[in-house]
Amino acid sequence: MEKFNPTTLTKLSDVFRFVIKDLISDGWRSLLTIISLAVVVVGYLLLASLAQAFVILTRQAQVTNNLLIVSANTIDPMDSSLGDAVLQTAMEITPDQIQHAFPIIFRHLTIDGRIMQVRAVPLEEMPTALALTLIQGYWPDGPRQVVVSEGAAQQASWKIGSIVNIYGTNFLVTGLVRSTENAFGSLWMTYTEGQDLFGTSHGFQVGCLVLVSTANPESVRLKLLADPRISADYSVYLENVFTNDYNQSNTNLLILSGLMVLVSLLAITFGIYNATSLSLTERSFEIGTLRVIGFPLSKLRGFLFARALVLTLAAYSLGWLVSFIFINHQRTQASVDLIFLTLRLTAYSSFFGLGLAVLFAFLGVWLTSGRLAGLNPLNGSK
Amino acid sequence: MISIHQLYKTYHRGTESVEAVSGIDLEIIKGEFMVILGPSGGGKSTLLNLIGGIDHPTAGTITMNGFALDTASEESLTRFRRDHIGFVFQFYNLLSSLNAVENVSMPLMAKGIAFKQAKAKAVQILTRIGLENRLHHRPSELSGGEQQRVAIARSIISEPELILADEPTGDLDSLNAQAIIALMHELNKQMGLTFVVATHNLRLAENADRVIELRDGKIQPNHIDKTK
Repeated sequence: MEKFNPTTLTKLSDVFRFVIKDLISDGWRSLLTIISLAVVVVGYLLLASLAQAFVILTRQAQVTNNLLIVSANTIDPMDSSLGDAVLQTAMEITPDQIQHAFPIIFRHLTIDGRIMQVRAVPLEEMPTALALTLIQGYWPDGPRQVVVSEGAAQQASWKIGSIVNIYGTNFLVTGLVRSTENAFGSLWMTYTEGQDLFGTSHGFQVGCLVLVSTANPESVRLKLLADPRISADYSVYLENVFTNDYNQSNTNLLILSGLMVLVSLLAITFGIYNATSLSLTERSFEIGTLRVIGFPLSKLRGFLFARALVLTLAAYSLGWLVSFIFINHQRTQASVDLIFLTLRLTAYSSFFGLGLAVLFAFLGVWLTSGRLAGLNPLNGSK
Repeated sequence: MISIHQLYKTYHRGTESVEAVSGIDLEIIKGEFMVILGPSGGGKSTLLNLIGGIDHPTAGTITMNGFALDTASEESLTRFRRDHIGFVFQFYNLLSSLNAVENVSMPLMAKGIAFKQAKAKAVQILTRIGLENRLHHRPSELSGGEQQRVAIARSIISEPELILADEPTGDLDSLNAQAIIALMHELNKQMGLTFVVATHNLRLAENADRVIELRDGKIQPNHIDKTK
């Protein structure tokens, strides 16, 4: 076995010096390779930002003791129509388990050109409804007042004191709220205001049952559904399950985004594979010459890895810059129905993406190993 | 220094077999300048490739200073070439993206020597062979004669014992060819390097220590030997 000799390790700075010289001598082709890889990187970074926005959106809702009643077979709460009788019936079925019940009016409306959720609940229930928290301002304490969710305020540039026209009536924004589903753009008003605005012909859309602290929500839910007065026309959900059901389609989008991120990384692999393969084919003579004058395969492979690293770093830097400008300059917010997705280029996703891009680029070089080994010194002896 | 015994190399093209080297026995002495003459297809280049460990023989043995080239692995042959053999080709085989100094530095970099040190030695050698004004020129900016001198500088930078030159004047005009021949003889005399040169050029044979003729893969009997 050959004794280890530190001088057989070529200095990294020398390797990169020759790699850069080689890429410069390749001129336009190197530039086009970098640009084509940068396009893939931009795709990756935008998809990663979108996937991250979906992750925030589909966070599990806080577990509460609340049960929600809606009309049977309803996915969108707006399609539900309930009357006071159903809340009364629920209280009769499990009188010792339900602390109290209240109605929620639920609408999708276009406000200031954007689709928003409008919800109306009794004033005293606002803090309990879907774990709503006041983060700025005050709860409505007079007529024609609303609180708005952070997402809606950001999207529509509403502040406390702004006037919002809802369904032809002006409302004053008195506070900003956050809920477990803070990605939804929503406005909240008192139940009385909701009834005044939308009328009473469609009743309310969601019944919220607040259970006593010792109650088992799932047992209560099953007991309610066992009663034909409920099961015939209504569905009963644990509050977080209901929210999660609503978010299921978004979860599917998250999976799709993840797959597309993977596809973009594979595109980097094949991009590097192609660039390296082409380089090997065109330079079989030069590589053969290097083998003749004593360059072992390991050193040539190291050169190819360094070349892929430089190409990937250049492409990633360019792609990152373009993505940064695009996301920040446009303040990109994708609006899916009434859900606002704010794209953010985080340090985590940037560095994680860089690591993955380099890894996949190395995979591309590794795939060419057989081709490199096939270039024997005879290629350079002509 | 080099001992060749019953060396054969057969190429197969479809159903046809071509014996490029056929039962060669040869001893190459350290410090000699040997020229291999012969027609194209006579086996000169094949023999040089076999001596240099670039190609593997079909049968027979080649040893250089006790190292068996015929049985060595590809990677150990690469290391052996790096440490003991320099190559000069008809078409120079310089790397087009590198300048003269960088091309000449390559064999030392293959040994793991940093470019800074390799460059210093390359400049020294290029200056010695009269290319001090062409150090930073790329091959495309050099004449054929200059390119071949760069190639010769590259072959000697790692101080090998043996230089194998395949048609070193084949792509040069007579003036440049004469200069290259003179340079190789000078290096042979001053540095004691062993040269084995395959060529059609009879002028290369004029001052050689030994001239052998290779025809149909066999050494012809009418050779000149000044070493005895």
